[in-house]
Amino acid sequence: MYQRLFGLVLLLACAGLGIVAWGYHAPFSYEPVGPRAYPLLLLVLMGLGAIYLLAKPASATAHADEPPMDRHVLRKVIGCVVILMVYAALFERLGFIAASILFGVAMARLYGGTWLASAASGLMLAVGLYLLFDKALDVPLPLGILSALEN
Amino acid sequence: METLSYLGQGFGVALSPYNLFTALCGTLIGTVVGLLPGLGPINGVALLIPIAFALGLPPESALILLAAVYLGCEYGGRISSILLNIPGEASAVMTTLDGYPLARQGKGGIALSISAWSSFVGGLMATCGVVIFAPLLAKWAVAFGPAEYFVLMVFAIVCLAGMAGNKPMKTAIAACIGLFLSCVGIDSNSGVYRFTFGSLGLADGIQFVVLVLGLFSVSEILVLLERTHHGQKAIEAKGRMLFSLKEGASVLATNLRSGAVGFVLGILPGAGATLASAVAYMSEKRLAHKDNKFGDGDLRGLAAPETANSASACGSMVPMLTLGVPGSGTTAVMLGALTLYNITPGPLLFQNQPEIVWGLIASLFVANLMLILMNVPMIKIFTKILAVPYWALVPAIAIITSIGVYAVHATTFDLFLMIAIGIVGYILRKMDFPLSAILLGFILGGLMEQNLRRALSISNGELGILFASPITWGVWTLIAAMIALPIWRAWRARRQRLAQPVSV
Repeated sequence: MYQRLFGLVLLLACAGLGIVAWGYHAPFSYEPVGPRAYPLLLLVLMGLGAIYLLAKPASATAHADEPPMDRHVLRKVIGCVVILMVYAALFERLGFIAASILFGVAMARLYGGTWLASAASGLMLAVGLYLLFDKALDVPLPLGILSALEN
Repeated sequence: METLSYLGQGFGVALSPYNLFTALCGTLIGTVVGLLPGLGPINGVALLIPIAFALGLPPESALILLAAVYLGCEYGGRISSILLNIPGEASAVMTTLDGYPLARQGKGGIALSISAWSSFVGGLMATCGVVIFAPLLAKWAVAFGPAEYFVLMVFAIVCLAGMAGNKPMKTAIAACIGLFLSCVGIDSNSGVYRFTFGSLGLADGIQFVVLVLGLFSVSEILVLLERTHHGQKAIEAKGRMLFSLKEGASVLATNLRSGAVGFVLGILPGAGATLASAVAYMSEKRLAHKDNKFGDGDLRGLAAPETANSASACGSMVPMLTLGVPGSGTTAVMLGALTLYNITPGPLLFQNQPEIVWGLIASLFVANLMLILMNVPMIKIFTKILAVPYWALVPAIAIITSIGVYAVHATTFDLFLMIAIGIVGYILRKMDFPLSAILLGFILGGLMEQNLRRALSISNGELGILFASPITWGVWTLIAAMIALPIWRAWRARRQRLAQPVSV
């Protein structure tokens, strides 16, 4: 069922991208193969694969490596994705430390930590990793709202 | 003779105090990363790339660091397999079969030391293999033109699918997705923007660190949600920590055989450690038909996959260094790291920058030795790390991943892209698509297109150039064999299934 759905989505995506790729044209060309041949070739191959999935999905008895989904897990997964998105959005706006404290606490709660443990680990992670990466390893990180403190 | 002098030069590079320290850090980080659930060698290596870059490590040190992390991960993976029955990564699955029963019988210490020894033997054998075969292959590969390279890469992709066992079609689709993703961004030959949809962040293509961390780190974080638990109680490794001479001798033949198997399978593009450990385990099981305790704690059953595992990890360096075609997901990441340094791996690397190649090979010896010296006495500390609960571990992984991605370009666009790739990766994983095939496809994709276009420019658009030299004929034959293999396997499986009801 899901296999077929995936096959259909993949096929439609291939078709859509194929239409986009059709328009790629080099204004000046010094070589026989333009910019569109190779992506088109891949899209055709991928499309054939999608048709295979549609026509002959794996049998229900086939062994899957991952356990099946349920509603409870799905809710957690969506929650996790939302937290990640919010973190990405706040990363520069609030700065690394503030955003990471919020993110660390939320993630620790999601993975079953108690409030106290989550708060402690979030705070320690944010400050510790900032010192480790920005100060010790020279990976520049945004300070955001805390930038006033540095001067 | 020439090889030996180069190797000596390599040891000169690897034994400099700076690089020794780098290798030591790498092996330590690698072991810890390997034993943590949810982090494998691919994530470990990918996370260190931005850091190595930010620290301004010279290319040979960066490569030594990454290789040490890779080997360390293969060592670390066995600790959680033996004591927890949780394989840290796919290639460690076979280790759990006999390692965990041994630990339950109170022989955890022996199991850990014999597996460390096996890893060491496998790594040593394969590194010697690299020393012998890599220069030969490099000399031969100088004759490769763009057409030969293109055909070789087609072989790598087909090999990936043909060796993938029960799902060749899904592997092929995953590889195509990877190949396609490499087309995103500005086309370097014509300046046309492809599949960017007006986004500036995509103009220079998808950064491979973003792709790797999205596919492996973010999707793993989502997968770990299903198994939220408060750290698992590991079986304590007590009793004798070192194996006896007799036990060592009883697995020596297994070590030698599995090391050879692992090295050969490691060289093949796409096959990698997972297949090598499975093949070694199965063939040892078949060879030991009498007094066979396989599955309930046979030392040979532990030694075989461990030896093959680390042998193939070293073996996969051969195609990466000599041809610039990665043999496994992790070497694909290392190849990506090299291109960040503007170094193109391939046969010319042996002539132009021997200090990088031979420094790396020598450091494989050094890292192997460090790992075995470190692993036996420090095992108690490593097992403590296993008890870290997920609520402390996962946020740390997620934040470090985000730092790694942000460090590449310092834009939050890459963070969003990583999350999107992670979601897609999670879905694909749920559908049983192998993610490492996407990664290999992505790394090979750009090279493949360049070589195809170059070849066709030489022949003025004539496709015949792809079939014009003896090398291409040979490789096309191999490709045909690789396509036939899964079809033949499926046919045989069907015949067996049809024969089954009659015999029951």
